[in-house]
Amino acid sequence: MADVTLTVNGKLRTASVPPETTLLSLLREQFSLTGAKLGCDVGDCGACTVLVDGNAVNACLILVGQAADHKVLTIEGLATLEHLHPLQKAFEEHASLQCGFCGPGVILSAKALLDESPNPSVPEIRDALAGNLCRCTGYTKMIEAVQDAARAMRGEPAKPGV
Amino acid sequence: MAQKRKTGEREQQVTQKTLHSVDEILRLPAIAPPATYPLETLVPEVRQQTPAVGQRATRPDGKLHGLGQTRYIDDLAFPDMLYAKIKRAGIASARIKSIDTCEAEAMPGVMAVLTGREIPVNSFGPSLKDQPVLADDRVFHVGDGVAAVAAVTEQIALEALDKIKVEYEPLPAVFDPLEAIKDGAYQVHAPNGNIYARKIIKKGDIKKGFAASDRIFEGSFRTQMVEHAPMEPHAAIAMWDANGRVTIHSTLGRITLGRADISRTLKLPLNRIRIVATIVGGNFGGKNEITLEPVLALLSKKTGRPVKGVYTRTEEFIATTTRHPIIMDYKTGVTKDGKILAREVRLVLDGGAYCSWSETTLGKACILSAGPYNIENFYAEALVVYTNKTMTGAMRGFGAPQVCFAYESHMDDIAAELNLDPLDIRLMNAFEEGSLSPTGQVLQSVVLKDSLLQAARRAGWKETRP
Repeated sequence: MADVTLTVNGKLRTASVPPETTLLSLLREQFSLTGAKLGCDVGDCGACTVLVDGNAVNACLILVGQAADHKVLTIEGLATLEHLHPLQKAFEEHASLQCGFCGPGVILSAKALLDESPNPSVPEIRDALAGNLCRCTGYTKMIEAVQDAARAMRGEPAKPGV
Repeated sequence: MAQKRKTGEREQQVTQKTLHSVDEILRLPAIAPPATYPLETLVPEVRQQTPAVGQRATRPDGKLHGLGQTRYIDDLAFPDMLYAKIKRAGIASARIKSIDTCEAEAMPGVMAVLTGREIPVNSFGPSLKDQPVLADDRVFHVGDGVAAVAAVTEQIALEALDKIKVEYEPLPAVFDPLEAIKDGAYQVHAPNGNIYARKIIKKGDIKKGFAASDRIFEGSFRTQMVEHAPMEPHAAIAMWDANGRVTIHSTLGRITLGRADISRTLKLPLNRIRIVATIVGGNFGGKNEITLEPVLALLSKKTGRPVKGVYTRTEEFIATTTRHPIIMDYKTGVTKDGKILAREVRLVLDGGAYCSWSETTLGKACILSAGPYNIENFYAEALVVYTNKTMTGAMRGFGAPQVCFAYESHMDDIAAELNLDPLDIRLMNAFEEGSLSPTGQVLQSVVLKDSLLQAARRAGWKETRP
């Protein structure tokens, strides 16, 4: 068994799991953070996207040992009790999610983009979302929502706990 | 063929203490904590006298999707839950000579193993009941399930599958529907022939129609097998209560039909089956019928614990229904101005290893194969054929998209040959209010021509024509 310690959504968490456990499995099964989804388990679909030290990664491709001592942000860590993250607000207003399964992954990929590039062009948004597959909605409304969120983020102070 | 299966005698020797310590080491998943965000959701207004078209509708569940709080089947967990995996045949056509599950059953952490012999009624289907829950003694396609395992973790279940030894006697197979309909072709479900359903539509007299035509055009079109690939794989959780009732949480879309199929396969009265369907991560027709539900129910019965099963992405491709590939042969007779006088169509649907929704697809494809055009003389013959490939079933359109590709491509080909504007040839033949469908249905609310003209105007169609 491997003992791992890492920061998840701002809190220090520990677990004792077999060393071959993926970060996705750790989040979903040990910490009950089921926002990251299992879509393919081989890093093709992006449904498991989380942020590790601010970078969008496929949690199914990361072993717990690799994530140890790093900062992980999942979809559950994005909003606070009082406020939705501008991305979550924009996605809701634009009805960008239908079945919603790809949603957490897409929103986190978009957040990684906006944190680095506050005024992205449409090709840049497409590129950021290229690793997240969506079978219901298509991407038009998602791109609109990301642009809306980017506008809001440029005009508002940064949210805490990020 | 007798099937060897020895009961693991060592099973008796595994004590409660060992089981508990194994659970402890392997860490059962915790139950998800309650959501911590304010949960007011928009309740949609009861429909009023105002028209809905043009209004902005907000999805009530949109907010929870974005928060990652929506619970799909795989996000649910129950106390003492086990994980199930299904072993896939890996061979397209075979007879199963023996299945040896003894090594798998003896693995610590494996709670139960299931094979086709234990299914009370091992056949189901929306029309023809030719699909087994787990393969009996024959394998008909690569994705056929031959055995299932329930274990304390998914990893152990997967390892146990490798330890199940299956001996196959390979049989001939057929993969091309055109080969399958030839005389002497291997019969997939012998003694039944490979053509398992046929439909004919006859309207008017095509011989007369062709004789009166200035030109006759022929075209052959094919579409490929398509997998729905919903982002959420098939998933279900089965558990029993003390009154002998099974509750199944499932991604299944048609739960009433599913209940009937589960009642049949488990030989259980309908009123002892409760299916809970919840928000699903994409369906598109692929979750229209049962897949692993009876397997999970039986594993749960054997172990006395809830059992969850989630398909891998590979299983989504090889073991769930797909869209029918169709081979479409068109022959159309027209006047030199482009008016269609006669059309003859032959459709051969690749029906996969089992019927599933093929009869519905066959009917729809056949009726719609004429296209939205007034054709006085029409003849269509459609067949659906068994092949040793993944079963073909419902997928958005049920046969309509395939024939649409054919008749519209065919129309463009004819327009090009006659040197006509593709829009004009369609306007000349298109349905109008009161037109008759090929099967004689009087069509109403027909706005085809208006739509085409509006679209053409907005797209600047005339301006782009040479």
